Amino acid sequence: MTVADDLNVAADIPAKAAPGLTRKGALYGVLTALMVVFCVVPFILVIVISFGRKIEGAAWVWDFTFENYQRFFVGTLWPDEVTFLYLQQLGYSFYFAIIASLLAVLTALPFTLLLTRLKRSTQAIWLVFILSSLSMSEVFIVMGWDILLSNNSGLPKLFQVTGMTQWLKDVGWFQTLRDIGLANPRNVKFKPSEFATILTMSYLVWPYAVILLYPALSRLDPSLSEAARTMGASRWTVIRTVTLPSIRLPLMGTTLLLFVFLLGSYVTISVFATPDKQTTAVAIYSNIRGSNLNAPFGSAQAVILLISASICLYFGHLLNSKAEAR
Amino acid sequence: MRIGGHIFMALAAVVLAMPIVVVCGAALNGGRSMFFPPRDPTLARFGEFFVSEPVWTNALANSIIVAFGAATLAVLIAWPVAYLLWSSGSKLSKALAGLGSLPFAVPPIVIGVGLGFFWAFTGGLGHVWSGVISHAILLMALPLVTISIGLQSIDRSHLDAAATMGATEQIAFRTVVLPQTIPYTISGFFFVLVLSFNEFIVIFFVSASSYATVTLQIFNSLRNGYTPTMAVAAITFLVVSILVFAAVARWGDLPRLMGADQSKN
Repeated sequence: MTVADDLNVAADIPAKAAPGLTRKGALYGVLTALMVVFCVVPFILVIVISFGRKIEGAAWVWDFTFENYQRFFVGTLWPDEVTFLYLQQLGYSFYFAIIASLLAVLTALPFTLLLTRLKRSTQAIWLVFILSSLSMSEVFIVMGWDILLSNNSGLPKLFQVTGMTQWLKDVGWFQTLRDIGLANPRNVKFKPSEFATILTMSYLVWPYAVILLYPALSRLDPSLSEAARTMGASRWTVIRTVTLPSIRLPLMGTTLLLFVFLLGSYVTISVFATPDKQTTAVAIYSNIRGSNLNAPFGSAQAVILLISASICLYFGHLLNSKAEAR
Repeated sequence: MRIGGHIFMALAAVVLAMPIVVVCGAALNGGRSMFFPPRDPTLARFGEFFVSEPVWTNALANSIIVAFGAATLAVLIAWPVAYLLWSSGSKLSKALAGLGSLPFAVPPIVIGVGLGFFWAFTGGLGHVWSGVISHAILLMALPLVTISIGLQSIDRSHLDAAATMGATEQIAFRTVVLPQTIPYTISGFFFVLVLSFNEFIVIFFVSASSYATVTLQIFNSLRNGYTPTMAVAAITFLVVSILVFAAVARWGDLPRLMGADQSKN
């Protein structure tokens, strides 16, 4: 499908939708054309190119082959030889994104609950703070944590100076840290590691978690939990039996959205994850912009990432519309 | 419990601020490498970032062009879509709004790759104007949402009153709809502005290394080791964000924009 085809299709729709209203019809036409060209065509290009073929030592050509997908799931040499390297990368994408989004939501939930009980003007100040940190670029945040976790300044240095390292050695926990890769023989070492990756990723989406949970939590009816309290329920019983069930759906919806957002994170992984735990997003980059120059295979990986994300978003949407309906 | 709550919120604020404080502190380093706490503190890095080092001044200029261009364009596209959605509620207008939000909803790397291909075929790859359009596409979901919230807050009886007194749709639009939605339009503009400033992955793919914005320049420098000048960029962006959101909170209704219940105050 070419761009010109899309334009023709787009121009036909409003003519039927709004007969007589020519000005509105023209507006609809222009907007539809814009949306189709800029919001749909890029995705179609990715999908189409994912069926293309890479020529060794040269660029790629248009084609219709499933080779790239085969390579992703079972490797090029299938059925003689099977490799799950790319599936494993997708697995790490999921692994990091699931843990980081859960961590962010679970810590953001009590925070947001407390936030909605503050005065409106105080809430606004907190929101400015949270929005500012939310808008901080991934590169700044990675830079910040990189300094914080680096060996010659930041936390490891702090551990050493305050004697924490020695204390850890004395009580024998240092060996445990070494076993899970968070220490070298002399001191604690936080990066590269899963710990640093997950910490930074969940830091990255934490403000989003607050912003997404905020509407649902600020609409909670306090009289319900007050009623439960007067009937003698303890605070924790109220949270467990009244508050949590009524926000279950937005909670799951938020987790899904953050998860989808994190599926594609690139900078954090490329700086903090160990080379054997790189994700699909990093592989997409190295195929399209990096050294491999295999755009069709990169596109196939992007399509698979997109499909995974769409499935999650669809379930999220389902949950949200259920929540709206109640 | 109350005290526990306060402590928890304070702790969250500290963790949230920690990397930002460290980056800001590192900007004061006198030497060429990053230390925290800063050694030999100086403000010379600010001069390098804003005045003397062309790498950074060019990057800053590109960032500003892309952000303001994208914010203007995104609002200009989002306005008619939000208006059609509100005034007609037709299936087509819903589809348009859905399509407009699509780039923001998928993992950014996918739309980055897609726009990269798109500009490669249309000849825009590596031009600043294509970066402007790409960011407008990516972020138009934000003004779409804020303007829709603004339009929904208009009391329909005002429109009826205007119509009874003989106002045409255009006049009602100019005297009732537009004034009431301006704060929300401006909020949408600022949200795009700030997020465009800080966006990395899409501009990474569409710039094709032929120009750099500040975030791109920082990423490039991340690989060659840190310089304190990078931290000045972080401070600048943070200050811009805080000013923008404080302005939105001051002149708009931030809790309502974020979806808080209106009845509680």
